Amino acid sequence: MNKTPLGADLIIPALALCFAGYFFFSIADLAWEAKANGVLIGAVLVLLIAIQAGRSAVEWVQGRGNLGFGPLFGSRDVLVMRAGMVLLTVAFIVGMPWLGLTLSLFLGMAAGLYLTGVRKRSHLLWVSVTVAASAYLLFIAALNSDFPHGPVENALAALAAWFRAGRP
Amino acid sequence: MTWDFLLGQFAIQFGLWWVIWPAILLGIVVGILPGFSPQNTLIMLLPLTLAVKVEVALAFMIALYCANHLAGGIPAILVKIPGSGGAAATTLDGYPMTQKGQAQQALVLCFTASVFGGLITTLATIALLPWLSQIGLVLRSVEMVVVMLFGLTLIAVIAAKDFLKGLIAGFFGLLIGVIGTDHIYNTPRATFGFLELYDGVPLVPALIGLFAISEALVMLEEKMIVGKEGQAKAVSAQWSGIIDGLRLSVKHWWHIVWTGFVGLFIGIVPGAGASIASFVAYQQSRLWSKHPELYGTGIPEGVIAPESANNGVTSGTLVPTLALGVPGGSTAAVMMIVLQYHGMVMGPRLFSTNPEVAYGVFVSMAVAYIFMIFTILPLARYMSRIVLIETTYLAPIIILVTIVAAFGERQYLFDMGLALVFGVIGYVAHKTNYHVTAILIGIILGPLFEQYLVRALRISQGDASILFSSALGNTLWALLALSLLLPFWRGWQKRKALAAEQFGEE
Repeated sequence: MNKTPLGADLIIPALALCFAGYFFFSIADLAWEAKANGVLIGAVLVLLIAIQAGRSAVEWVQGRGNLGFGPLFGSRDVLVMRAGMVLLTVAFIVGMPWLGLTLSLFLGMAAGLYLTGVRKRSHLLWVSVTVAASAYLLFIAALNSDFPHGPVENALAALAAWFRAGRP
Repeated sequence: MTWDFLLGQFAIQFGLWWVIWPAILLGIVVGILPGFSPQNTLIMLLPLTLAVKVEVALAFMIALYCANHLAGGIPAILVKIPGSGGAAATTLDGYPMTQKGQAQQALVLCFTASVFGGLITTLATIALLPWLSQIGLVLRSVEMVVVMLFGLTLIAVIAAKDFLKGLIAGFFGLLIGVIGTDHIYNTPRATFGFLELYDGVPLVPALIGLFAISEALVMLEEKMIVGKEGQAKAVSAQWSGIIDGLRLSVKHWWHIVWTGFVGLFIGIVPGAGASIASFVAYQQSRLWSKHPELYGTGIPEGVIAPESANNGVTSGTLVPTLALGVPGGSTAAVMMIVLQYHGMVMGPRLFSTNPEVAYGVFVSMAVAYIFMIFTILPLARYMSRIVLIETTYLAPIIILVTIVAAFGERQYLFDMGLALVFGVIGYVAHKTNYHVTAILIGIILGPLFEQYLVRALRISQGDASILFSSALGNTLWALLALSLLLPFWRGWQKRKALAAEQFGEE
């Protein structure tokens, strides 16, 4: 018989419980209008979590569940890919203010594709260039949004200014 | 308003095809990307819309707005990533249709429901504008509390498979929705010390994280997002798939009409929007269906209801904007700025001083929808082939492009990190069967529910009986009670019939 992975099942309730605790702490001194809704929702949430914890405890005692995480993380290869993608995304966000949107997206795409198993150099190059160039054209050139500018954006802006000023 | 005037307006708007078509294409592109809502696209393009004639600016803004609402359903159906909050409910049945190899039909249903839902409600708005403009005044905070509860009951519906987990997810979302300053004293609550959370949890990063990033992390387990049968159907996608989708749309024409009107009425209320309308329409569609148990498995009605309501909202939000001078939503507020820049004074007088603008807005919307169906429908065949891209390519593209899109709404790098956090929460929720849609419903409706509830209680100085003080409110309460009791009554009837059948056999 497949046992229910109770460890995995309790992650969201544990997270919700921690958040509810922090929420109650943060609103302790506020006026009733500011906390009425949150207290009501938080109280129901805590009650629901208590019922879920009780249900899990019964399953564990009866031997229908274990405290493992089951298929939450998947096989080792997939876990490496997932963790790698999360870390890559963190690096992408942190690096963007220095590298700018286009270059960070190009590097991030190339690294992401490599991480998920793409090995053809032409695919790594063209997919990354296409995504980065599309993002530049839509967000920087067309919509002029406030994405961080880096070497690519600055070089293209200088080039455009040079063209507008009239080539020598 | 005479027929000559109306036909003249249609002729003028059809003459603006050269601005409507590019706006539709731009609206579709930014609508597919979660994070780029019509209002921030229009804000970025303000220099353009302020520089051209008012009719041209209006035609451009309206076409972009409507196309944006339609396009949000495309990624929701193909890769379970809603392009906007209004398309989140579309994932519930749209993506299962894709997994069954019916992506083309689902896309056609999405397009026809959006276009005809939008078109019918726009024509109704033109005909009933003076009457509709009163709805915004009749639906006050008391009534809106009940409307919000209609949307929240969908949590219970989604939670049907594992009621307790669904409710935990929904209430977790509701509590996340309370983050930010309160509506009366502006004191911060549970902001973790981040100034960026003082306005509450932004919807776009939550949407991107819970749906796009979590789904991309899950899809790494498989080589393709659909099974072999689905791939074979996508490879051999023919025009017959589009015809089949059109047949399904005709079959469910009444569904398109009435869910479109749900969107129209909710859209008229300032502050309410496409997200609420689509969830309420989905919930009502399931409630009155003869086969509610099939919702969530990939059925046409589950795609039609949220998409038609989502586009019914487009004309609704403009009713209070033009008739009362109160913007029905953030996009309507941007349009109001452009109109005021061109010297238009919003309010009842607009219909006598500038009828060509007041009615022209809705005529422009009707024309945009007509153009849209011819632009988008042929693309369904090719769009459905996205399921043939391997996940080794799709997952990094989805994660990085949607993280970039998370920046779009408020232009904070913080929102990109927030999207990643929600992505990890969404992944765990997904793998442990805590429904991410229930979390999202809580995040969307929680702050609005609180806003209306606190406002109502504030008016009554804390007396909760105000919630039962109006005839319309009480009618809505009765309908809500009916909505909650009807599934139990139906289940009881079904069990009774089954028992009678078994007794007969014995």
